[in-house]
Amino acid sequence: MGTPATPLDLETRNETRKDHFVVVHPLDDVLETKVDTEALGPMAMTRTVRLSLMSLRAYLILMVLMVVYHVVMLAR
Amino acid sequence: MTNKTLIMPTAVSTAGSADMSTATVEEAAPVRGRVVKSKITRDLLTFLMVFGPGLIVMVADNDAGAVSTYSQAGAQYGTHLLWIVLLLLPVCYFIQEMVVRLGIATGKGHAAMIYQRFGKWWGLFSLVDLQLVNFLTLVTEFAAIDLALSKMGVDPRYGVPLAAACLIMLVLTGSYRRWERIVVFLCLLDFAWFWIAFQLGPPLGQIVKHALLPSLPAGGVTPELMFLVIAIVGTTIAPWQLFFQQSCIADKRLRFADLKWARLDTFLGACITITAAVCMMIAGAASLTHGFRFTDPAQMAADIGAFAGPVMRDLILLMMINAAVLGTTAISLSSAWAYGEVRGWPHSLQLPWREARGFYSLYLICVAAAAGIVLIPRAPLQLIILGVQVLAGVILPSAIVFLQLLLNDKELLGEYANKPWNNWVNWTIIVVLFILSLILAAQVSAPSLFPSAAGGPTT
Repeated sequence: MGTPATPLDLETRNETRKDHFVVVHPLDDVLETKVDTEALGPMAMTRTVRLSLMSLRAYLILMVLMVVYHVVMLAR
Repeated sequence: MTNKTLIMPTAVSTAGSADMSTATVEEAAPVRGRVVKSKITRDLLTFLMVFGPGLIVMVADNDAGAVSTYSQAGAQYGTHLLWIVLLLLPVCYFIQEMVVRLGIATGKGHAAMIYQRFGKWWGLFSLVDLQLVNFLTLVTEFAAIDLALSKMGVDPRYGVPLAAACLIMLVLTGSYRRWERIVVFLCLLDFAWFWIAFQLGPPLGQIVKHALLPSLPAGGVTPELMFLVIAIVGTTIAPWQLFFQQSCIADKRLRFADLKWARLDTFLGACITITAAVCMMIAGAASLTHGFRFTDPAQMAADIGAFAGPVMRDLILLMMINAAVLGTTAISLSSAWAYGEVRGWPHSLQLPWREARGFYSLYLICVAAAAGIVLIPRAPLQLIILGVQVLAGVILPSAIVFLQLLLNDKELLGEYANKPWNNWVNWTIIVVLFILSLILAAQVSAPSLFPSAAGGPTT
């Protein structure tokens, strides 16, 4: 594959290309294409997802009840 | 290695490192790179460039609360609980490794992902809970700075605002790299814990035995021991870590090709943080050996100073401040990133103040308000610590459930989604964390159910 003349070529033209590697810091690199999350929309409600979220709701209700209990005990 | 900096016009990602012979060029967009000759140098340099988020998230997890918990465990039970800390090494690696994959694949933060994939309600719940628990944790970080400074004879009325000002200046440079380099340097200071443990530690044989062979302290399983074990687990795996590392990876713009190096970064970070935790426990055990009773880590440092000298005392106090500083910058950033992502504000450490006012303002408000509360005489610190424990118990299992569901989202992650063995490991961890969080929250909010448990746990 042909590579046009660049500052890189000018600096390394006397060296064997196969022997060289370019290391680029992520912040200096061009932006990589990532998954388009906005186009995906909300997650599909599979049985696992629904069950997990239901368990989470139950857990949170239990936690709230415990905090309420603590507040009631403190108020006594 | 020629080690030259060069400007290469290309629009195609070189994905960390590229064989020059295969580089394709589409249009002129400057990409700064370094030319190296050997594959080993290429790999080493790529790792050093990717290195950062994993180390920072892990070491910052050993914040002031963690110093307190680990040293308390050592001061009460000697080296008997070392095996539990060691057991947490794969747990924290597996959880954070999922965050790495999610961050690299989406280029977005955890809060944004929850919002987009689970809807507004769960998104708002996670965000509000995170902001609350983070802020309360920040107050405890500054309380630790206050305590350590007082023990060193420095007036906290000057020391705490100075620490807050330095923490604010740290992020206002408009350069992610500058922030990362300073924070990595602070993380590496954690190696001082190794020297402290080496100086104070019991015979190596005893440490190895208690680290590798599970054993219980004299007295067996008591509510106090359970309390401390749960606190150790809670302090090693904190909710802000998930949000922080994913946002950090997104801000650093890590690429798909960086995944293996990001994993290595996270693994090394986990090893360093767990070893430092072991060292903190050994320091606590040394104070127990000399007959001191644990009250707080600053007092423990003073006690150790009584037999190991003032240098050792000041070093432990300085390490306590360093832990709090690291915890503060990471936690405040996780709050600012999460809020910025959800609100759609510009939210990058690469941006100058004028281009990301909301993001930096939130960081500034978090740090300044937490420092301010600590300076208020008779601030309700005990109530704040209790709030941290309860809220962390709420958010940690929920954040991990979202993480696990997102990592099984093939639509979102494709080949980066969890494998069946990942799921077995992760669901096991989640179930255990649910149970422990529930017990911890029950002990904190309903202490009368556990009559023989003396004192609250330390976060």
